[in-house]
Amino acid sequence: MANNALWLILQKLRTPLLVIIVTYSIAIMGMVLIPGVDDKGDIYHLSFFDAFYFVSYMASTIGFGESPYDFTYAQKLWVSVCIYLTVVGWFYGIGALVSVLSDPMLKHELMRNKFRKKVREIQEQFVIVLGYSYINAEIIKKLHKANIEVVLVDINEEMINNFLLESLIRDVPVMVGDGLLTDTLVDAGILQTNCKAIISLFENEEKNLRISVLTRFLNPKVQVIAKSTHNEISTSIMDTDIAMLVNPFEIFAKRLDIALHSPHILVLENWIYGNSDLCDNALFLPNGKYVVCGYGRFGKALQKQFEKNDIAYVFIDEKRRAPKEMLENETFIRANPDDKEVLIQAGIQEAECLIVGTKNDIENISIMITAKKLNPDIYLIARENTMDEVSIFQAADIDWTFIIERIMVNKTSLALTKPLKNHFLHLLLKENEIWANSLVKLLKSKIGSNPELMYLEISMEESYAIYHDLKDGEEIKIEVLQRSLGNWKRNNNVIPLLIQRHNEDLLLPQNVKLEIGDKILLACDQESREEISLIASNIYELHYAKSGEEKQIGLLGRWFS
Amino acid sequence: MNLQKVISGFFFIFAMTINFGFFYGDIDNPELHSVWELFAALVISLISTVLKIGDKTQLGAVLLATSLVADIQLIAAVTVWTVTEYLSIVDVEAFAAIISLSGGAFLANITSVILYIGETLKSKR
Repeated sequence: MANNALWLILQKLRTPLLVIIVTYSIAIMGMVLIPGVDDKGDIYHLSFFDAFYFVSYMASTIGFGESPYDFTYAQKLWVSVCIYLTVVGWFYGIGALVSVLSDPMLKHELMRNKFRKKVREIQEQFVIVLGYSYINAEIIKKLHKANIEVVLVDINEEMINNFLLESLIRDVPVMVGDGLLTDTLVDAGILQTNCKAIISLFENEEKNLRISVLTRFLNPKVQVIAKSTHNEISTSIMDTDIAMLVNPFEIFAKRLDIALHSPHILVLENWIYGNSDLCDNALFLPNGKYVVCGYGRFGKALQKQFEKNDIAYVFIDEKRRAPKEMLENETFIRANPDDKEVLIQAGIQEAECLIVGTKNDIENISIMITAKKLNPDIYLIARENTMDEVSIFQAADIDWTFIIERIMVNKTSLALTKPLKNHFLHLLLKENEIWANSLVKLLKSKIGSNPELMYLEISMEESYAIYHDLKDGEEIKIEVLQRSLGNWKRNNNVIPLLIQRHNEDLLLPQNVKLEIGDKILLACDQESREEISLIASNIYELHYAKSGEEKQIGLLGRWFS
Repeated sequence: MNLQKVISGFFFIFAMTINFGFFYGDIDNPELHSVWELFAALVISLISTVLKIGDKTQLGAVLLATSLVADIQLIAAVTVWTVTEYLSIVDVEAFAAIISLSGGAFLANITSVILYIGETLKSKR
């Protein structure tokens, strides 16, 4: 029932209410029965109203005095009994009411009601975020920027209070509750049709699996974004068919792989994430021997890529075990990496690259300082686990830092806010170095070092003019969008990157006819961005871009538009 | 046997019977209607209302509703009685109003008891 809170109060107040009713009626009955003497000395009986009136102010300790006439001793005797009877009953009632109102269960129930109401009132698409952490806070900010509503659930009340101190653009419904329970998920609106996704990036990956499975059965239309670095859990999560995995170690290992064989794809990727622009020199990783500190999930992910790219490597880890062959062929040393001797034994002096990837940020920095002394020319790659030590990492002169938290924020928010960008990134990773290099050169020469990305959908709302022309059976090619409105024979600085159509992807489309429902990703500069949206939505501009002629009846319209 | 069931059943039926005791008699003859019975009817009705609170089932909700109706009717009857007595308006119409209000409360009580018995029979099966 929706008004659970009210029922809770009533149920707890049952006994106090009964006590008050019974004591009142006993007192009233006695007052009516006992004869009194009025001012003329006659015998009289209090009426029920007199008695009720007197008992009411007696019980509540207001005490207006004896009415309607002074009481006899028989009456006073009864009143003194009644005082203890009713006053105690009354205070018991008030005490019970106060304790019910301050009951944590009731408070929780009230908060839950408020939360449910707020969630139901959300009109736009929204995302459920489980747990408040630095990563989730960043993701929430990015989602808000993309006009996506967020609902937050955390089991810890203190975390919720911390969250409420953040300054956010939009109001976020929050609740203290266990996100692993179906009830909580339903409260958070998982059954609503406008629920788009649920973000579950718990450190404990069993929880993420549980969320994926629950969501699969509650509402399979909701996408789950789950963190998982363990193989078994990843497979189980993927089996739900609705989940997108975020595995920061895999993501980085993949990047390393790309950097090894096609560095320009990495340049493009960084540009799409907004981390840097195209002018950044491509990262040419050395091809010599790699020394890696840490052989956990991260190290194993790297090992696969080394083997794929035929690169010599040595792992150092104190706690974890490695297969026997690795010990025998000296690709694994079981020792503390933060030790000069161990590093020398691993061959740091002739190695070309050092990757420090332990869980401990300070240890990572300490290892790097030691290594740099032994081999000043070594290429340094460092793992940074949290954002707490950013400044130290910046000062440490590291060639390539990868921040686990930032990878997760970027990956998650891009998938939710810019699905087409994310898709383009996906396709990009399958291309080769030559392709990427020529695309980087093309973008740089045609648009500049930091082109903007523009998203356009051929639909009634987003591109009115093209939509109607296509509906009338006209043919429009992608090149129309590139034309300048100043002179239609000249082209603006636009490069179409991707057309997504049903299940077909057209990478770098040229001479392609547009269709209704196409999702187009373009790289362009500020001015051409405006012209593209004009061409797409204004029928006169579209006519000009198509034919180079002003639309006849449109002459007046053009002045006013 | 559940003691709580005995107590609540007792009060539900007692509320009805005592209400009937007050209601029974010529509608325009004050001598046939004791003010004590009205007082007792109101108190018992209030107690049975409180006993019905907290049952979240559909039937519990209906039972509570009928009881609230009876309470309101009886409180209205008591108020009319008090007002007429203290403002010294002694007329048959006001008294008839008191009796018919308690009659309405009686009907509500009957409904409540029927529902209660129905539920009891169903649970026995």
